[in-house]
Amino acid sequence: MNIDVNIRITGGAGQGVHTAGGLISRMVVAAGHHFHATQDYMSRIRGGRNSYTVRVMDIPVRAGRAEADILLALDPGHLPHFLPGLRPGGIAVSDPPAAGAMDGVTAAPLKELAVSAGSPILGNMVGVGIVARATDVSLDTLDRLLALEFRDEFLEKNRKAVRLGAEWASGRVTDAFRLPPAPFRPRAILAGNEALALGAVAGGCKFAAGYPMTPASSILLGLSVDGPPLGLVFEQAEDEIAALNMAIGASYAGARAMVATSGGGFALMVEALSLAGMMETPVVIALGMRPGPATGMPTRTGQEDLEFALSAGHGEFPRLVLAPGSVEEAYELAFHAMEMAEAHQVPCILLTDQYLGDTVVDVDPEEIAVPPVRRRIVRGAEVPRTAEGRYLRYALTESGVSPMALPGEPGITVVADSDEHGEDGHLTEDHDVRIRMVEKRGRKEEGLAAETLPPLLSGPPDGDAALIGFGSTKGVIAEAREILAREGVSVTAVHLRQVWPFPSGAVEGILSRYGTAWTVENNRRGQLARLIRAETGRQVTGTVSRCDGLPFEPSSLAREVKERIWAERSIRR
Amino acid sequence: MGGTLDTAVENAWCPGCGNFPILTAVKRALERTGKEQHEIVLVSGIGQAAKLPHHVDVNVFNGLHGRALPAALAIKMANPSLTVVVTSGDGDIYGEGGNHFVHNIRRNPDIAVFVHDNQVYGLTKGQPSPTSDPGWTGSLQRGGVISGPFPPLAVAIALGCGFVARALASDVDHTADLMAQAIAHKGFALVDILQPCVTFNKKNTYQWYGRMAYKVPPDHDPADRQRAFALSLSWEEKIPVGVLYREERPSFEDAHPGVGEPPLHARPTPEEAVRTQIRKRILALP
Repeated sequence: MNIDVNIRITGGAGQGVHTAGGLISRMVVAAGHHFHATQDYMSRIRGGRNSYTVRVMDIPVRAGRAEADILLALDPGHLPHFLPGLRPGGIAVSDPPAAGAMDGVTAAPLKELAVSAGSPILGNMVGVGIVARATDVSLDTLDRLLALEFRDEFLEKNRKAVRLGAEWASGRVTDAFRLPPAPFRPRAILAGNEALALGAVAGGCKFAAGYPMTPASSILLGLSVDGPPLGLVFEQAEDEIAALNMAIGASYAGARAMVATSGGGFALMVEALSLAGMMETPVVIALGMRPGPATGMPTRTGQEDLEFALSAGHGEFPRLVLAPGSVEEAYELAFHAMEMAEAHQVPCILLTDQYLGDTVVDVDPEEIAVPPVRRRIVRGAEVPRTAEGRYLRYALTESGVSPMALPGEPGITVVADSDEHGEDGHLTEDHDVRIRMVEKRGRKEEGLAAETLPPLLSGPPDGDAALIGFGSTKGVIAEAREILAREGVSVTAVHLRQVWPFPSGAVEGILSRYGTAWTVENNRRGQLARLIRAETGRQVTGTVSRCDGLPFEPSSLAREVKERIWAERSIRR
Repeated sequence: MGGTLDTAVENAWCPGCGNFPILTAVKRALERTGKEQHEIVLVSGIGQAAKLPHHVDVNVFNGLHGRALPAALAIKMANPSLTVVVTSGDGDIYGEGGNHFVHNIRRNPDIAVFVHDNQVYGLTKGQPSPTSDPGWTGSLQRGGVISGPFPPLAVAIALGCGFVARALASDVDHTADLMAQAIAHKGFALVDILQPCVTFNKKNTYQWYGRMAYKVPPDHDPADRQRAFALSLSWEEKIPVGVLYREERPSFEDAHPGVGEPPLHARPTPEEAVRTQIRKRILALP
């Protein structure tokens, strides 16, 4: 690892922060490098204080970094907030006169050059030109990238703005952060939520409904963009209650179906989640977490809904809860969720969050697997019938999973009920039937558990400590482990991509191998630590918790873990 | 349709319940569709009315209280060749599910919605429903209902519902006829059925409806929205029964670009089509 340059663009909503960040991301990919982009934005349409951070490396990047090497402040008023996050010797660029009055800030006439290029809104593009010069990426590369997005007069204006920025920066901005040219490789640029939606579509999702809610709206967007070419129908629901009831209806009629929402919307879906459990309709729910309670911090990140996802829904029913830890895993686990939900006829929750959902990276398109979708619907002669010729939707089986036929199948009818029901689906108040059905649904959990995805470990199998996380913390914990290893502290990173059924055996094995183990969680209560205790009877050493609405960051996490390990050792002595 | 539509499910309604004639009417209307049993889906929520589908030998989706409409919409979207009929109570469709009632009329899916409107929550023992008359005394409003009644037909007409009818449960022939017309109508078709509750509603009884109800006169033009609106609000003096409003407009399934043949369960997921979507993300320099 030689290259590690962190570029931060800041400004108000509407100033083109996102556009500039996206362009810089593509610029570094075009220059043969890799990136990891994260967004931090406020809940508003215009204004506020937003940032887009692009971390560039010569290997695929799987975590963000707090300290910026290059800071492009489109609004100089934000400098006091963002300058402390600039590393010593880093480049800060913003408009005069505010910028000129501050130590270590290069006053660049962004607005003035933007006007020269044809419009005052092109300040972001002038800034991109300055960043291109600071990183030594050729203007030809940017010219070609801009041609992918703009046409005619707009293309020329944008190109001019970039050129004016780069020319201005010559000799005025250090090239300490230059990116040496590397061979260009075709890379797919994907955000976490986009990958999740794509994985669901690859997994045969044909029906999606949802009510917009940050940070899950981009999952709905992805489904509505990537789904229709593969026959998916999307409908914006009047509320989240409708969304999940719609998905369950579509599933009853044979469509693989999903919804996407955040905590508040999921709260509204909870009764329908229980319905999916009772009716045994396969359905996938993407839950993009943000800090709560209630409206909380709508555009920020958190992992506060783990226990909620595990326990939501009245009554007892099996469920699968997956927690992707990277953009690639968001794709893979969404596919897996589609397959598993149908195979076991259970609801499946994909637990993601704002940090992962809005994270953009470059991935090798050849490494994105597209396995065949395996439908398990029975049709025609496959449909089991009783001696009287009837189909039993809830036929008692050893696995608890009954052959699923669809309404419209000639010669049979399909009866599904939210009441307790007999094998034929019709409601019943018979206690013996009740027991048989409770046991039937319960047996499905055993089948699910047998296919549990084990935790993923990185680092030595016998480190001083284990760091255990679920979901979006995967990349950060893995990098914190690398930092600690360089500092002589040997820890193992443990990533839980499935949290229910809980991989009890594997986690117990891990805990027995390490003297100390911390969970790393974006919540206050240490919900994963509580889950581990409930499911294994073992208590972790402690929890590294973060609940300010921001994601963990490798170097500060490593620092905190080191302090904890030292403190633990001194206690033991 | 071959054979009887009866099922062996034990009936849980009170003797004399208005649900019985409604059940008879539903079966007659379904027989008149010319569809096979496997081509029909009855969808309901929760309540005594919502148990009706268990007594008809067709496909059944008996979902959550208030949530019949979203499920019915999606079943129709997933497989438009199915005949989808919702049959549930006034509390279910107008109360708990009020938001879905409003927005599905806006969508206009090709489903028929039969609301057993007995102006009372029967299964929970006699609380007022959204359509209870002001002053009516229910178990949770002993001083009498204060809120004004929800006017389902007026709301439906205001929202542009293409088929708005009122039926009288005790007139099975007429109710079955209105139901058959509703099923045949392409779009959201509402039949609000005046249904006496023999146990909890001592005001709106068979006798009371017998006095109040009259058939919409043959000279009523169902395309006359203003007149239909006026008729829909007529309650205190006389209650018109029949088709109040009718208007053809494009159905949701016809308007939605993705809905249609083949049904969703028959749509494949070819690897190459997924790869095409992935390739759209690959940065290719011109």
